[in-house]
Formats: sequence, structure tokens, C-alpha cells
Amino acid sequence: MKRMNRGWAGLAAVVLLSMAGVARAADGPERWLHVKVNSVGDGESVRVNLPLSLAEKILPTISHGDLHNGKITCAGLEMSGVDLRAILQALKDTPDNEFVTVQSRENDVRVAKQAGNFVIHVLDHQKSKQQVDVIVPMAVVQALISSGTKELDVLAAIRALKGMGDTTLVTVHDGTDNVRVWIDSRNTAD
Amino acid sequence: MILGKIAMGMLGTVVVGGAMLCSDGFVSVRVNEHSPKGSHIFFVVPGALAPIGMKFIPRERWNEVEKELQPWLHTIREAVNGLAEYPDTTFVEVIDRTNHVRVHKKGDSIVVDVDDPGETVHVSVPFRTIKSVVRELDEGMPPA
Repeated sequence: MKRMNRGWAGLAAVVLLSMAGVARAADGPERWLHVKVNSVGDGESVRVNLPLSLAEKILPTISHGDLHNGKITCAGLEMSGVDLRAILQALKDTPDNEFVTVQSRENDVRVAKQAGNFVIHVLDHQKSKQQVDVIVPMAVVQALISSGTKELDVLAAIRALKGMGDTTLVTVHDGTDNVRVWIDSRNTAD
Repeated sequence: MILGKIAMGMLGTVVVGGAMLCSDGFVSVRVNEHSPKGSHIFFVVPGALAPIGMKFIPRERWNEVEKELQPWLHTIREAVNGLAEYPDTTFVEVIDRTNHVRVHKKGDSIVVDVDDPGETVHVSVPFRTIKSVVRELDEGMPPA
């Protein structure tokens, strides 16, 4: 009888441990937002490593300026009667495409939808030779504008970002400065 | 026999008191000024003393601090609770030709290191101490 009880206890322990393991796996690895700025000119370097779950916890507690409950009020989103939400909704439903391509002596500009991402590429041919690449997953864009016409829902965007794989969101290169903003599951920027 | 009991009682008091003082960890501050006559300050105090120390803040100063911090208490509480769950990490690091600033988590403490041409500063504050201070501020503790 004692042996049987031990067997049940062992089995229960195995089941509980397995359940704990499954629950932990379901949580997934922590996602970190990294910002890295290297300025060759003045030798400055800035690194920021922020866990997205921490941002998710803190944002709703901040009520300052235009930021309340994780949302930023932006009166400018009305954009002279243009319905930004409708445009972004249309973008979401559109297949991958190039929307804007400008090639001039001063700069090249490209706005496109590519592999589920909203992509902006700017190459400045002037002295600085600045190159800017912004890649925002459409799910994040949708989340950002999900709460209203005059608000950007930063909290929803962070939640959407948590579901993304490792991805580079912004890169800026010019003659002296390099900026990179990206997401991955490591807690260091190197 | 009686002396032995008194000694045991005193020893027990010291042990329990010491344990209570150490329960919140230790705040450490180190400041080294780089000039030849610069001062070098280093102290380590039990974090549990911080809420007690707050009672000695003059009322006018207290009102200022409370007014400035009150809107951020909830944010600080959430941040501290959240930060304690993460592995040791550098959250912010700024380096230029002359300065180095680093805000990082080390064990159960948040650590700020500043190294500039004038001085080197190291401040380490346990999360539990910050929580105690926030709790006191939350309760609107009047100064003694």
C-alpha cells in the first residue's frame, strides 16, 4: 500500500513538473527592446536595454503630458481630414507592394509593404550620405492606431511587439552616427 | 545564573535587531573626487534605516519631495517590482570621451555608476529599500 502511495506521489510530481514546464514555455522568452547609438564624431555611445514586459507594466501607470494609460494623445493624427486609420487598414489588406518610390539627385525614398512589414527607406545623397531604414510590422502599426483617431496606443503596440520574432525596427547610418533599434530575447545589446 | 540569562537576552536582542536591520539589504555610496585635495566618501548603511531616516526630513522639504514624487509612486512601485524579476542587466549605458554612466541591476539592487573627470560615484540601493521608502511615501508619513 505504501509503495502504491509513493508511486502515485511520484506520478503526481512528474505531472505537476511537466505542467509547470509547459506553462513556462507558453510564456515564451522575455523580449527586450534595444537601442544602440554610436557616434564616431564625438566618440559617444549610448545603449539602452529594456524588457518589453517591464514597459508593459509601467506604461499604464504613467500619466504625464500627453501620455495616459499607455496611450499618447496626438491631435496631429487628424492630418487635415485624412483618415490615417483607414489608410493603414487599407495597407494591411493590400498585398506586398511599393507605394512610393522617389529617386532624385538629393535623395531616394521608398515606402513599401514587404513580408507583412511597413518599410520606409531613405537615402540622402547629400554630404551626410544618411541612410534611414524603418521596418514596422503591420501588426504593430495596427495596434498603435487601435484605440481611436486621436490616440496612439503605445501599450498595444508593445504587446504586439512582444509577439514578434527577432527584428530590427530602425537603422540610421550616416558619416558619423549609427543608430539601431531592435528586438530580441537577449538582455544585452552586444 | 541571572547574569547568564541577561547576557542571553542581550545577545538575542542584538541578533534579532541585526537581522531586522539587514533584512532590507544595504545601501552603499562611494564618491571619489579626482582632484588632489578631493574627498573620498564611502559608507554602507542598512536599507532598513532609510524609512527611519525619512522621519528626520524637515517638514517643508518633506512637502516638496512628497509633491514631486506622489504622481510617480505607482510607476516607481511597478518598476521596482518588475525589475527585481529580471536577470542582472545593464539598462542604460552612456559613454563618451570623458564620461561613463551606467544604470544596471546587480543582484537585488539597482546600481548607478558615474565616472567623469571630476569624480567617480557609485550608488547601490536594494529594491527592498526602495519599496520601503515608496511605502512610507504612499502612506504620507508625516515627519517627526
